[in-house]
Amino acid sequence: MVWINRRLAWLAGSWLCLGLGTGPLVAGAQTAAPKQAPPLPLRFGQPDPADLEAQGFVADSGAVAVVLYDVGQSRFASAAGHMAIVTERITRIKILKKAGYGYATVEVPLYHQGESSEKLSNLRGFTYVRGGDGQVTKTKLDASGEFEEKRTDKLKVHKFTLPNVQEGAVIEYAYTVTSTFFSNFQSWTFQSEIPVRWSEYRTSIPQVYHYKALYQGYLPFAVNELGVGSVNMVLENTSGSGMTATSQSQSLSMSTEQHRWVIRNAPAFREEPYLTTANDYLARITFELAGVQMPNEQYRDLTDSWTKKNKTLLSDEFFGQALGHAGFLADAVRPLVAQYPDPAARAAAVRELVLKSVKYDGTNRYHATGPLKKAYELHRGTAADVNLLLIAALRQAELPAQPVILSTRAHGRVSQDYPLLEQFNYVVALLETPGQPDLLLDATEPLLPAGVLPRRCLSRIGHTVVEGGEGRWVSLTPTRRYTHLQNIHLTLHAPGNLTGEVQEEYGGYAAQEAREQVQQLGEKKYVTQLAAVHSGWEVPAYTFSGLATVDQPLALRYELQQPAAAANNPQELYLKLLEPFGERRNPFRHAQRSYPVDIGLAQQEIIMLTLTLPPGYVADLPKAANLLLPEQGGRYLYQASAPTPTTVQLTSRLTLDKPVYSADEYHTLRELYRQLLAKQAEALVVRKTQ
Amino acid sequence: MLLPIFSSLVLLAPPAPKYPADAIAPALRENAHAVVRAYDKTVVVKSASQLVETVHRVVTVLDEAGSDDYGQLMVDYSSLRHISYMRGAVYDAQGQLLHQLRPAEIHDQGLGDAGGSFMRDLRMRYADLRQPTTPYTVEFDYEIVSENTLFYPDWRPQADENLAIEGATLQVTTPTALPLRFEEQHLPAGAASAPVATATQTTYRWQLPAAPAVEEEPLAPSLAEQQPDVHLAPATFEVQGHAGSLASWQSLGQWVYQLGQGRDALPPALTARMAQLLTTTPDPRERARKVYEFLQGSTRYISVQLGLGGWQTAPATSVATGGYGDCKALSNYTCALLKAAGLPAYVALVGAGAEHPDVRVNFPSSQFNHAILCLPLAAHGTVAADTVWLECTSQTEAFGYMGSFTGNRHALLLTPEGGRLVATPRYGAQANSQLRRTDLWLDASGGAKATVRTRRLGLAQDDYAQLLQEADPVAQKKYVGNHLRLGHFTITSLRLAAAPTSTLPGVVETMGLELASVGTVAGRRLLLTPNLLGRLGTLPAQVGPRLTPLALPTPGLYQDTVRLHVPTGFRVENLPLPTQLTTAYGVYSSACTTLPDGTLQYVRQLETRRPAGGAPLPAARYAEYQEFRRKVSHADNAQVVLVKTDA
Repeated sequence: MVWINRRLAWLAGSWLCLGLGTGPLVAGAQTAAPKQAPPLPLRFGQPDPADLEAQGFVADSGAVAVVLYDVGQSRFASAAGHMAIVTERITRIKILKKAGYGYATVEVPLYHQGESSEKLSNLRGFTYVRGGDGQVTKTKLDASGEFEEKRTDKLKVHKFTLPNVQEGAVIEYAYTVTSTFFSNFQSWTFQSEIPVRWSEYRTSIPQVYHYKALYQGYLPFAVNELGVGSVNMVLENTSGSGMTATSQSQSLSMSTEQHRWVIRNAPAFREEPYLTTANDYLARITFELAGVQMPNEQYRDLTDSWTKKNKTLLSDEFFGQALGHAGFLADAVRPLVAQYPDPAARAAAVRELVLKSVKYDGTNRYHATGPLKKAYELHRGTAADVNLLLIAALRQAELPAQPVILSTRAHGRVSQDYPLLEQFNYVVALLETPGQPDLLLDATEPLLPAGVLPRRCLSRIGHTVVEGGEGRWVSLTPTRRYTHLQNIHLTLHAPGNLTGEVQEEYGGYAAQEAREQVQQLGEKKYVTQLAAVHSGWEVPAYTFSGLATVDQPLALRYELQQPAAAANNPQELYLKLLEPFGERRNPFRHAQRSYPVDIGLAQQEIIMLTLTLPPGYVADLPKAANLLLPEQGGRYLYQASAPTPTTVQLTSRLTLDKPVYSADEYHTLRELYRQLLAKQAEALVVRKTQ
Repeated sequence: MLLPIFSSLVLLAPPAPKYPADAIAPALRENAHAVVRAYDKTVVVKSASQLVETVHRVVTVLDEAGSDDYGQLMVDYSSLRHISYMRGAVYDAQGQLLHQLRPAEIHDQGLGDAGGSFMRDLRMRYADLRQPTTPYTVEFDYEIVSENTLFYPDWRPQADENLAIEGATLQVTTPTALPLRFEEQHLPAGAASAPVATATQTTYRWQLPAAPAVEEEPLAPSLAEQQPDVHLAPATFEVQGHAGSLASWQSLGQWVYQLGQGRDALPPALTARMAQLLTTTPDPRERARKVYEFLQGSTRYISVQLGLGGWQTAPATSVATGGYGDCKALSNYTCALLKAAGLPAYVALVGAGAEHPDVRVNFPSSQFNHAILCLPLAAHGTVAADTVWLECTSQTEAFGYMGSFTGNRHALLLTPEGGRLVATPRYGAQANSQLRRTDLWLDASGGAKATVRTRRLGLAQDDYAQLLQEADPVAQKKYVGNHLRLGHFTITSLRLAAAPTSTLPGVVETMGLELASVGTVAGRRLLLTPNLLGRLGTLPAQVGPRLTPLALPTPGLYQDTVRLHVPTGFRVENLPLPTQLTTAYGVYSSACTTLPDGTLQYVRQLETRRPAGGAPLPAARYAEYQEFRRKVSHADNAQVVLVKTDA
């Protein structure tokens, strides 16, 4: 286990935008800071003796370690005549169990790109251990415990590991990161996989920079203060260029906005199934540069509205401008215009062309890596390369496609309150037809039909990027469900063995999933695995249809034989007919739930079974069931009938209509599955009449 | 207007197609995601301390499932292994050039985080030539200059399932003074050519003919053990000025031993502290336990592997001051501690991991990835001689226990006289056991409450010991819940506790459960499979003939006792018949009886066996084994029938 340090938010907000509509946030009101900033809650090198005791750290008695203090301070300062953001961080952790030793190894990622970079300095650390004699041993982090790795072109990782770590030890480290990324930054996270007793973030920003700060999470602030201070900076001012360039130092005194946020006793964050990304649930603050007010200059508004954001994006070399240089597509696209008069059919044909021309390389972003022509010639690109190419091609085909930017599920939820581009990492195409639903197009997944977004994109909402306007929010919730239908015809033979035929149909996202598996495994292995789940099944024959036509459901038909459970010829048979075709395990295994269940799409699972009885037998019909989830969340329907004296029909139909269920709804969802499993596990009683 | 078109026709006359996809024989397309068109490896040994490896690899990707694995190339390098060049090209189905790889398209990345290492100089370069439509063909060329001649390259052209090959070659040229050592595995006849010697050097050649794709079958040995392979190794080598010989295990051990020599000095205070144990704890075994406890309480594992540091231990003093080290450093440190406590021990190299194949004993070469400690204890008094093995990288492992990580295999002891290949402890069925006792209170609707007490010993407890030591209660519950094969349940309580025997570590798990639908309601009857938690699954039906040998899992002993408390208003109508099976693959028994108080008691025991020890069995035995598993599964699923008493 490696303790990956969540990156500090290097920048701070000059105004705080609270009450984000995503989480049940109880932020508390912002208060005015006292004249004198309170001292830091800890002093480096001086641990609290009580923290070296063995007892009473945290309510979570199972914790392997606990963060006692995690304190960051970010301020603007001048370094060698240039402005920089300087962040000092002090972290103190109590190691409670051996399993917590991993928290003594720290990785600090340091980015650099072009002129901007992050540099680490002034790293120091100590390990404190109280011996059996009561004496505290203090061991210093030395250079042999440090290592810097160049992970990629843009990322260096500074690692260090503290010495002499033992159960009960307190470790402490501090370092400074100096950054010149003024607009690109990350968040401050108050929570961790272990409990955090005190997490504090302070910012000091001269009033020349205006940042928007966004808090999200499920924890309230203990302190949320805003005050005013001042800073002195010596900046080098270069005028002219080349040989005639002159530079002079200028001393500036500026007033600053001082923020202080504290969260106390944050519980350990634990991943649960059906979450988008931990970042959507952790308590954290993110920032975006909103504007710059340099002395004696006009205020430069960088992010006040979607109109402005759209303008920025459309004039960007790697977004709007890239879309403008797409003449190279004309020859390939032009024939499609005449061939497909219907816009939707034409859009699908254009998408098909892009799918066949460019392969998605797995990278998600909304900025193209270079000119679209390059990706077209390389036959490969990021999501942005592929889908911007798609938009350009649609336009060449006289279809007025617009870009829609979104954030993938793994990247996290977007706030609709503020136009923060930082929140997005993906782009798709939108075709609007009056009176018709929005047609969203993506050309990264060959196994999905046109108009169906990949599952990674099902994150509720995206935003259009339009010329000269605000644009609008677009729902990403798919109209296509995940549907699975099994139509089963079985015949019971006198000794109790069953034969029959199953017709399966996978629709929507279920079809994509099944096609992917068949692609990986091959047809034979796919069917073998399907049969292997059910003890005693033999599958003498099978056929797939629609494997290659992704806009149609995928169908699988197979024959089935199951030997009798008992060798004799009993008076009564108990047949668990539905169970082998059903879910068999409740997908919601755990009794407790802290966060919403985010599936991203609606689902339907239908089993229709017809059983033909041998002569001289009758069946007792089981009771029907009809269960509803609150607020039209879904239902489970179970029916049994006997259309003729010798046939029995069983229907099991599960419909889940909401892409997201709140944590409060978890229990009803789990209960619905419990009852579904109980009905599917019921035995049909078949009796001999003679 | 005409002229440029004309001239371009002349200039751009298409080059001869390379590797068109339709030239692939139909038999090679069957079950194949990709086909290796050429895989030519050339190894030139320049000197005892340097070799050059050149690879030319051409693969046609037939479908999307082959794209990620074969449309890209990753080559790793480090301070002792340099990439001279990487080139690539991609062709369409007809064999026309689509794109030539440019240097700017080759990415470079550190691999420091892979495998949990802290300091590591391993990096990789990779190139992506995946295409949107299949089939397409990629051609890669690269050269590596290695200054780590302890390892010679391997050659296994058909490394994966669903991959066919048209052919492959290996050529090794070495100075006659530095003879090549090799071990051939599953080579078809005629694959090896006679070595060709000149005055100064010898050239060896191997060639593989076309081979269709293979598919992995259940319970088969790994593909690596089944496919043609030529293992190469030097007779003598030199790494950063340290010369050694691989003529024998003795000489390899000697080289590693000498690298570590003089690195076992401890701070005097620590030596004194260990020496004190000689008087306080006279029993050698108990003294070793004390030393091990000291180690576990004061150190932790941090991987540091830079250059020669991949084979040379850090000095014991660095562990003493920092309290951490990698496997070599911690073993060396513990060896020094034991020595100071009057207990001479040996560091041993081992291939660790439950899935790691055992050492190929007839081919001395570097096949190890881990270091452990071996402490021989002489007989004294009535106590017989014994050997204690210690895992020095774990802060929680039981004293003297190797488990599935390093047990049941060979290790290379590093002694002053050189290396010696010895066996680590063996763990048979009795040392891989799971004994469970379940009390089940059924209700009339098929729901139930249950208490389950499971004691696992030896190999069976390995995962649970880790769960006990490393996970908090919430995570423990999550893990156990995810591994319960029940439709719907709620874990009402869970407790894990260490419960060792005198020779083996053990973990007891005590659990309370609320269950839904464990019993099946069928009119007036209630059906229940009393083997609630211990059912052994069947094997997938065999489609077509079994082709690969049968590799059976490690023997184990599994026992379940279930007390079924019948709900009021019900009586027993039918009990499962007792079953007894005795085969070469295992012994099975199950029986269900009514106790005097009306409770039903189901007892089931399975002891699995391996007829040929760990060696794979012929493919033909699969049907017989499958039949055994089918019978076990049938008995495991037997039902109790309860019926409503007429009130």
